[in-house]
Amino acid sequence: MGWRWFHQWGSPRWFYERAGRWQLVCGWLALTLLITGSFWGLALAPVDYQQGNSYRIIYLHVPVAFLAQALYAAMAVCAVVLFVWKMKLADVAMQSIAVMGFAFTALSLISGAVWGKPTWGTYWVWDARLTSMLILAFLYLGVIGLRAAIQDPDQAGKACGILVLVGVVNLPIIKYSVEWWNTLHQPASLKLTEKPAMPASMWVPLLTNILGYYIAAAYLILGSMRAIVLERERRSAWVRELVSRA
Amino acid sequence: MSLERRMLTRELKLIAARPGDIFKPMWFLMLVISMVPLALAPDSDLLSEIGSAMIWVATLLALLLNTEHLFQSDFSDGVLEQWLFLDRPLAWLVGLKLIAHWLFHVLPLILITPIAGIMLSVPTDVLLALLVTLVIATPALTCFSGLGAALTLGSSRSGILGVLVMMPLFVPVVILAAGVLIRAMDGSDTLPLLALLGAFSVVAATLVPIAVSAAIRLNIGGSN
Repeated sequence: MGWRWFHQWGSPRWFYERAGRWQLVCGWLALTLLITGSFWGLALAPVDYQQGNSYRIIYLHVPVAFLAQALYAAMAVCAVVLFVWKMKLADVAMQSIAVMGFAFTALSLISGAVWGKPTWGTYWVWDARLTSMLILAFLYLGVIGLRAAIQDPDQAGKACGILVLVGVVNLPIIKYSVEWWNTLHQPASLKLTEKPAMPASMWVPLLTNILGYYIAAAYLILGSMRAIVLERERRSAWVRELVSRA
Repeated sequence: MSLERRMLTRELKLIAARPGDIFKPMWFLMLVISMVPLALAPDSDLLSEIGSAMIWVATLLALLLNTEHLFQSDFSDGVLEQWLFLDRPLAWLVGLKLIAHWLFHVLPLILITPIAGIMLSVPTDVLLALLVTLVIATPALTCFSGLGAALTLGSSRSGILGVLVMMPLFVPVVILAAGVLIRAMDGSDTLPLLALLGAFSVVAATLVPIAVSAAIRLNIGGSN
């Protein structure tokens, strides 16, 4: 006794069945939070005195940018779990998080560019934050590409794990060097978070949306993990049974 | 003769057997540098301003081209497998291989950069700074691109994937080196940045061989 809660994570079937239920809960929760937060933020929250209505993109941009960075850390945790406990599910998680992380990074870059055009007058500047997000996107792409190039899934998973761990050590160094580089080249131009001490009517919906996006990400990741588990376990009896029943 | 010395002599013999391998990256570097004035303008003021940065990027690319297949021949003829049976840690052998690669393949590349500098009319003191940054930074770059080469060993259709995967990790090195060059251009103190660059290189050269050896083990054993 005692370790059952831990060991059951080694069973793909157990995960597949449980994750289906968790996914349902996450899905409804995310939907409720996102509808509430988005409606509140987009329609009810007051107009910004400086940026007008264009500031409202923060209700998409900020949660997505948070997730883009958090997911890399999540991937690194999965890599550690993979190497320490040899848990295959961690590799499945790493695979789906890499794709999702890239998607969120791309979304944050695109939504930032869309906001940048009316506010800064340009889609892209070599601002420290923008640059480090771009590098992050390339790091995610590297993990996805490396997995695609190696045929054996176990080997691909370990190779990606090594890459993710090397990347996570480098990430803070990259972030600080980019910040330093930016101050060297163009001092005091633009900052993404010039916080004009937002009123509660602005940040409460933002917080709702951040929570909503996190849970939505969990929903998406659980869904793609279930699909990957099914694909990897396609030769096992329980998957065949599941497929023949359907 | 010690194992370490035998490994270095083997590398030298391999180079003597195929000397073309050393010259191809140099050739590439010179070609890229010749393209710069053609694509830009033959204006020596402009060239001297961006020249050192151009040489840095071109050397980086040449180095990547050079290191992409670092472990490939040793992998296919079984040498890497023999490494596992030696009484030395794999990371140490990997480190030796990387040192040999740096000495025999990367250093010659650095040594011809002054010629490129003269072609782009880079001032002498900036050229000196360029050489110093390259000598200090390339060990880190060699280690990281070695890791890219080791990670993609097992896949036949990886192409330049190892390069693509590792490039984002070069960002701090490039930024620090560019900082040194900018300071050298306006004559301010470059020592603090050189020290940071050196620190990055030392840490990379210490830790990355461990990751490389894990990647090699993965491609050979598969099971462990």
